[in-house]
Amino acid sequence: MTVSAAPAEAILEESGVRRRRRLRGSSDARAYGLGTITIIYLLWALVPVAITVLFSFNEGRSRSTWQGFSLRWYTWDPTGSVINDESIRTALTHTVTLAVIATIITVPLGVLFALALDRWRGRIPAGANFLALITFVIPEIALAIGLLFMVTYLATPFGLGTWAQVIGLVTFQLAYPIVICRARLLTIGTHYEEAARDLGASALGAVRRVILPMLFPAILVSAILVFADVLDDFVIVRYLSSDASTETTSMRIYQTARAAPTPALNAMATIILVVSTLVIVLGWLLYRRWSKRQGQASDLGSFAGTL
Amino acid sequence: MKDRSTRLLWPILGLPAIVWIVLFFLIPLYVVLCVAFGTVDPIFRSPIPIWNPLEWQFTQVGVVWDRLVGPDNFYLPAVLRTLLYVTIAVTACLLISFPVAYFTARYAGKYRGLVLALLIAPFWISYMMRMLAWINLLQPEGLVNTIITMGGLIPIDINWLSGNPFTVVMGLIYGYVPYMLLPLFAALDRISPSLIEAARDLGATGFDLFRRVILPMSVPGIVAGSLLIALPMMGDYFTSDMLSKSPNTAMIGNLINLSIVSPGQAGQAGALLILVLLVLLVPMVLYTRSNARAEVRS
Amino acid sequence: MVDQPRRPLSRRRLLQASALAVPGAWALSACARQQPLGGPTGASSASGGATGGATSAPAELQIASPTNPVKWPINPGNEPIASGLEPEANATLRVYNYPDYLDKAVIKDFQKEYADYNVKVEYSTFNDYPEALTKIRSGSVPYDVTFMSYNYMARLVYGDLIRPLNHDYIPNIADVWEEFQNPWYDQGWQYTAPYVIYTTGIGWRADLIPEDIGARPDPYDVFWDSKYAGEIAVLDDDREVIGMTILRDGGTDVNSADPAVLGAARDAMLEMLSISQPRVTITGYTDIPEGVLSLSQCWSGDMLTAQYYMPDGVDPSVLRYWSPPDGRGLIGNDFMLVLKGGENPVMAHHFVNYMLNDAVSRKNSSWIGYQPPLRSLTPENMVSEGLVPANLASAVVKPEWFQVGYPLLELPPEVEAEYQAIWQQFKAGA
Repeated sequence: MTVSAAPAEAILEESGVRRRRRLRGSSDARAYGLGTITIIYLLWALVPVAITVLFSFNEGRSRSTWQGFSLRWYTWDPTGSVINDESIRTALTHTVTLAVIATIITVPLGVLFALALDRWRGRIPAGANFLALITFVIPEIALAIGLLFMVTYLATPFGLGTWAQVIGLVTFQLAYPIVICRARLLTIGTHYEEAARDLGASALGAVRRVILPMLFPAILVSAILVFADVLDDFVIVRYLSSDASTETTSMRIYQTARAAPTPALNAMATIILVVSTLVIVLGWLLYRRWSKRQGQASDLGSFAGTL
Repeated sequence: MKDRSTRLLWPILGLPAIVWIVLFFLIPLYVVLCVAFGTVDPIFRSPIPIWNPLEWQFTQVGVVWDRLVGPDNFYLPAVLRTLLYVTIAVTACLLISFPVAYFTARYAGKYRGLVLALLIAPFWISYMMRMLAWINLLQPEGLVNTIITMGGLIPIDINWLSGNPFTVVMGLIYGYVPYMLLPLFAALDRISPSLIEAARDLGATGFDLFRRVILPMSVPGIVAGSLLIALPMMGDYFTSDMLSKSPNTAMIGNLINLSIVSPGQAGQAGALLILVLLVLLVPMVLYTRSNARAEVRS
Repeated sequence: MVDQPRRPLSRRRLLQASALAVPGAWALSACARQQPLGGPTGASSASGGATGGATSAPAELQIASPTNPVKWPINPGNEPIASGLEPEANATLRVYNYPDYLDKAVIKDFQKEYADYNVKVEYSTFNDYPEALTKIRSGSVPYDVTFMSYNYMARLVYGDLIRPLNHDYIPNIADVWEEFQNPWYDQGWQYTAPYVIYTTGIGWRADLIPEDIGARPDPYDVFWDSKYAGEIAVLDDDREVIGMTILRDGGTDVNSADPAVLGAARDAMLEMLSISQPRVTITGYTDIPEGVLSLSQCWSGDMLTAQYYMPDGVDPSVLRYWSPPDGRGLIGNDFMLVLKGGENPVMAHHFVNYMLNDAVSRKNSSWIGYQPPLRSLTPENMVSEGLVPANLASAVVKPEWFQVGYPLLELPPEVEAEYQAIWQQFKAGA
């Protein structure tokens, strides 16, 4: 196929067959045009981040002038490096801790709810589903302030700090596993479960032995999404934090980015990026193992597609 | 017997999440109402919630209402500014993500997996890190100015980070565009190639095809994507805080955040939040509807 | 994970109950909770009347000023700790302060000095005093030591949030200027120990601002000069900005409750927004060196700190600071407080004493840039010893300025509400 540069009027004048071929050509041109836009977009989206990562290895203090490669801001700077600055270490561990706890709570809650919604009809599940979807799109600040007020003005058994943060995060993330698992349950349909029941399995047994294994990719994907999104969270963790021990990396970036940042801030952000990348890679490996066992396509595209 | 236990199984599975949503979503929202309709400690001016709806007082909501539309309406410029920023940002996100999503869905071919993975990548990079990236680039001596001035040859001096509205809107676009891309991609990906082939056989040319077939079929994705980014932007305060810190780029989120951290203003923060939520209720319900419809269709 | 003590919660409740001025409600909630709670709000209203200095709401807040020195009451149940106690072992000492307002190295030194007790200092930060007061009062974190100024003193005492000091633990106060050992805001320094002193003025980079701001007839006018639109900032602090605006308009009462004065200040501030589009931030000490800002309202210590944030290749001697040379400008001082909600009162006393030590205080000062009121530091020797470079000599606070300068005093709640309404309007942008 060749790229046609013919003006549109000329195309219109031509005969049917030729027109068809010309259109193919212009469709090719369109592909190149759109491809160029996509590449520009990807550069715009990713290059700034790559530069941020690069400058975490800067020898000097500057975040805009390259002064040579060094691990100074990771290891050997006596006060400012990730290893030697306790507040950065605390932020890193606290962020990952929150992500782990929130994922462990959110995913089972959401998956069970999605299973329930799949069969349970009525006002209560419909209302709860509606609320869950609202938590998905409500401005995060509303959820954060609500919980902040609740903790401050009601005698709750937990105060501001880690548990308040976890509760806020779980509430905000709950919609992910619900939506993803529901979509998957709809494609699975009911006949596998019915077959299992016909073979004598109890309802619970059918869910456990048949449905849950088939839900695996959806559960995996929602766990990854929740984990990565919690690493990223800012509004909830900030409002519900108590003191320096409950600061997360995003809070530190927010506080320090305009105050007195060094490349150590870039280093910290890079470490979080590495953590989330590792989680995705792990998820992908698990997904590949699962789909091999199921005899399904296991390429990157289909994994990304499920995401 | 077995039937009854089966019937009970589903509510039991769903119960934990329902309890959770009531405890940690509905009750907090009710507390916000009680604070907004409550009174204020005369000395510390901290809010005293009123738990009984029958005793609610409207002083604080009245104050906020006055600031929005009353004679003393100094919230209004920030509200209009927010609407303007959000409109521009959503439009720009749409203009950017449509071609990108369309390319990925239809033309990426063997690179599809790679492109998709790269499109999703910004999801995994924390929002704050992406803002940090731009703060670094937009420093007075940063890379952007170095490129614009060709290394100091052209004497243009652009101060990006001192209350420049362009920077804030760019930050919003940059921050939120990935959330628009994916729903849009999903919608465009659903349009089957044979349908397009058929339209073409019926004589639809490029633009016609786009206007009559592709655009209408991607409307759900456009609506979902737009809502998905517009709603969070309405509560965003950190983008403006990080990239500007000037009152001249303050958004509604900044007003709410400021009220929260000042003593005596928490009630007003609650009141403002409730007014914002009331307005956003329509698009939020719209979103849940579009979601439900998508479920039915699939 | 974080086990929150229940005490702060119940205290919060009590405050609410007493603030409602319903003694019955207080009595009920007191019965419902077993913890003994001292304090003015509880104790006095429980006995049905005003016994302490602070009474149950709605009371007039006593406001200290240089012309009205105040000796704060010590509420029943809030007596100073006994003398001769051992510091708490394995303590996590929670220090609550502005960011970059205490040298991290000094904290490390303190931990080393008290290594026998295995103390760990946790440094948490707030953006401004209102935020700090809100959070301290919420009782959500048992902070031990905080740093404040006198504009919240009455509420801190009234709210029973701070602990009177046992002077036996704090001999180092002898190193401090005498007037700060018996200040008007806390006669007999019962609650406070001085930290640093400062003026509020204007800082800029001489290489980016081609004029001598101090030579203007009214230097404050620079914030209303469109020439510098987009490259200047004012402090993110309602009182400082409103106070400066009142001074610029020719006033001297920076604590005015006069609606006419406040209305004029508000109009002038909105005018400033449209003329010069200032940023509102306390990070001038890094933004000016980095060139993000050319000029900013700032505290005297900020420009001294700024020297350390200068990018390579720019001479720190381009930094300038102006405040009224006759001392008739905004002046203030911060002090250390031991919080009642803290879990380590003895260690907190040791920390306060440590910070007052001459050598420690100098080390800390050289990092944060702010001047402690040490006897050993005079305006002359600060420059001659090289603690302050000649180009920033104007950032040194002279003792006599405290006689003529304008401190930002605590405001009655209803006046403070007016100030905050103005601030909200300012920050909402015009």
